Amino acid sequence: MTQVLILTLDAANFMLALLLVTLGLVIIFGLMNVINMAHGELFLLGAYSVVLVERAGGSYWLALLAAPALLALIGLLIEELVVRHVYHRFIDTILATWGLSLVIKQAVIIAFGPTAQQVSNPLPQPVEILGAVYPAFRLFIMAVSVGVAAGIFFLFYRSRLGLAARAVIANRPMASTLGINTRRMDRMTFALGAALAGLAGAVMAPLMSVDPQMGVGFLIPAFLSILVGGTGSLLGALLGTTLIAGSSSVVSSIWTQIVAQMVVFGLAIVVIRLFPQGLTGARR
Amino acid sequence: MLGAEAMRPGLRIAVTFAVWIALFLLPLTVDDWRLTQLAQFVSYGIFAMSLAFVWGQSGLLCFGHAIFFGIGGYAMAVLTKGMLPGWPQGTAFGLCAATLLPGLLALLAGTLMFRGRGLSGAYFAIVTLAAAVIVERSASHWTFIGGFNGLLGIPPLRAGTSELVDALPAYYTLLGFAALVFGLLLWIERSPLGTALRAIRDNETRTAYFGFDVAVYKTLGFAIAGGIAGFAGGLFVTQFGFVSPALIGVPLSTEVLIWTALGGREVLLAAFLGALLVRTVEAALSDLLGYYWLLGLGVLFILTVVLFPSGLLGRALALPLPQRLRPPRERTR
Repeated sequence: MTQVLILTLDAANFMLALLLVTLGLVIIFGLMNVINMAHGELFLLGAYSVVLVERAGGSYWLALLAAPALLALIGLLIEELVVRHVYHRFIDTILATWGLSLVIKQAVIIAFGPTAQQVSNPLPQPVEILGAVYPAFRLFIMAVSVGVAAGIFFLFYRSRLGLAARAVIANRPMASTLGINTRRMDRMTFALGAALAGLAGAVMAPLMSVDPQMGVGFLIPAFLSILVGGTGSLLGALLGTTLIAGSSSVVSSIWTQIVAQMVVFGLAIVVIRLFPQGLTGARR
Repeated sequence: MLGAEAMRPGLRIAVTFAVWIALFLLPLTVDDWRLTQLAQFVSYGIFAMSLAFVWGQSGLLCFGHAIFFGIGGYAMAVLTKGMLPGWPQGTAFGLCAATLLPGLLALLAGTLMFRGRGLSGAYFAIVTLAAAVIVERSASHWTFIGGFNGLLGIPPLRAGTSELVDALPAYYTLLGFAALVFGLLLWIERSPLGTALRAIRDNETRTAYFGFDVAVYKTLGFAIAGGIAGFAGGLFVTQFGFVSPALIGVPLSTEVLIWTALGGREVLLAAFLGALLVRTVEAALSDLLGYYWLLGLGVLFILTVVLFPSGLLGRALALPLPQRLRPPRERTR
């Protein structure tokens, strides 16, 4: 029984961490129609900003606030310097952001070295829930993720800003004729997406080995999640991450993590092939 | 393409010829050690041409193109090392297998991906990226093909009974193959099949309304590129003597994208030279620059994508369109 509980908690933990990354991706893709291949590296920068803050003597909790703020700035910068120039060439946005991911990764290697960095666990005590002993920090991650996801959903479906954003997603030219400043919307969207990636990186840093390759490990599952779930809405991202994270947790508890990755990626490709609009997408 | 339009068609053909002549005269100026290295780079160049064909002509941005290169390399290695008892071990058979196996695989994958409401654009890119991860992982866990360590001691190319171990004949053999591939791909590009592929690249829906079975054409283009990439992989391992999962995964797929984008995605020779030049500069400078080399290459890649989508060499090396596709006033009587 406790085995099952721990497995469920692990799956939920992975799913919620993935959801943080995926939300940023799906917002950028949905609103701007930009496939942000550098999203994994924004996640990476989030984790490294924790390293940086801790080196400067700041606490982890300070880093948790600093990381999204820093990444929002970096996101603005990237949008202004690179992404803005290739909006109209869809395939080139993939290439340009892919190039960005290489550059960021390489810059991190130059600044911090290729080896893994340690981030101390701010909540080392485990807690007991229903007879199972579980690390407190993982529960904290889940709480953060649920909170942020709820915040994003509220922002998108219950606020004026969200209404405008959904208008841009639905019909960009129409939205701009109605007086919505799409240019400002794009800038804010990219900054928000980057900030979410940074937050995810900062939140996950104490659990992972913080090294320059950690971004890719999240980028591909996050992409597969939005394609499986459907790119049109946030609900698709929720469904996609649940399926990807759930199935990979289950498979990796039976076999190894590597087999799990292969099986899940393979299955995701099949699902994407069968439902090109995603599982929540409208049938054409 | 303003620069290309400004140049007379005859001049542009002359530039292409001049480049090939220069490549054939290159051994006069470099030593044996560099020549051996260049022979490897030529096989990378063939690989880049196959990507330029599938991406620049057919509009399919493949993030896992090294899958085919790697399968070709592994097929060549397994056969010429005699790891399959009862199968021929010759160079020719090895190269055929290294071409056909990935080609057929691409045909199958293309059929699965493009038929019906197929995958397009970004989805294709992400699916091929995920596939590259899967294939690289599988290769490094398959003990028959050496697992993570790969296979060592792959024999060089054989012509009859003699082995091509010297730098000069090896270079010329590789360059000859490259010229052959260039000719073949150029011929396909300028044939009606090539025209249809470019039409699909520019506007898939419109091409479909003209009555073309888009999925079949895309699958065919993908299979041709997969076969050529496998051929390049087969040639590469005979020069390198070693095959490992590094040849089949995301890193090499990324590199070939960079070479092709820097050279020029729509022009075969530009992509070929892109691979050669980037690798040559890398060999000369990467020790000196260390991590800064990749950083600089990445920045150059972004600048090229944003500012010069047709690549740094693409304009200079673009050949004029076939006569039948030129607007009437440009036709030479």
